[in-house]
Amino acid sequence: MAVNYDPALINKTFEITEPVEVKADKIKRYCAALGETNPIYTDEEAAKKGPYGGIVAPPSFAVTFRNGRHFFDNVPRFGLRGFDAGKDVEFVAPIRPGDQVTLSSHVKEIYEKTGRTGTMVFVVIRSTLKNQNDQVLAHIDHRFMNRP
Amino acid sequence: MNSFEEINIGDTLGPLELFVSKDQCRAYARTMGMGEGAGRFTDDEAARKEGLPGMIIPGNMSLGLLSKLVTDWIGSSNAWLTRMNTTYRVPVQPDHTVTIHGFITNKNPEERTTEIDVWMENEESERLVTGTATVEFRK
Repeated sequence: MAVNYDPALINKTFEITEPVEVKADKIKRYCAALGETNPIYTDEEAAKKGPYGGIVAPPSFAVTFRNGRHFFDNVPRFGLRGFDAGKDVEFVAPIRPGDQVTLSSHVKEIYEKTGRTGTMVFVVIRSTLKNQNDQVLAHIDHRFMNRP
Repeated sequence: MNSFEEINIGDTLGPLELFVSKDQCRAYARTMGMGEGAGRFTDDEAARKEGLPGMIIPGNMSLGLLSKLVTDWIGSSNAWLTRMNTTYRVPVQPDHTVTIHGFITNKNPEERTTEIDVWMENEESERLVTGTATVEFRK
């Protein structure tokens, strides 16, 4: 059974968020919550001697930016409530304190898969993070699983 | 960490054993500014109302912990975690010990990259979160 959806949904940007400034303090609190102790993320002096010449956020900080208010309204649903099945994140460039980060999101793909537990429909939403210089920082593919 | 030349397929990362408390889980949710809908990450009762056994750890927090295994391994070397692809298989409950493992599955000398299988296990060695990471070694 092929999954039915409007092909016009694919690749159409449905949301671009307002810029959010990256604060060094938020990077510190993020590190504390994960037990991250590498000083290149929190200590200016140590970070200056590190590979990035200053403080950067841990790569996984990319997933902390909130989607816009209408994000979930634009995630196509198939049957019962979908849930977060995983994420594929490409870390393109370091995120630094002072960066103004925006997210733009589109439906990347919709596909069906049959496993031991039955048929599932996966919806992949790609969010691209950019800074104030229009530099891409990361691509995040959110994989939502639905049971039709 | 060894240099790119010294790394071999089959090398392991970790294991990293962590006790993730409910308070740590709540602190993460707070730091992330999770508001409405975050009850499953902060409150046992709210999680049970959603059919879960109790509070669970946010998927993004698991992704962060798997990434930490890799970035700890990188240390201050001139290497960069370029990709982390995770699958959330089983909800991860706080107030339990989890163990995070890594295993190098591939090495590409032309691109100077390594592929690493990463996974998080519970006390029963059940794989809760699995993933693959790519690390690029810069000259």
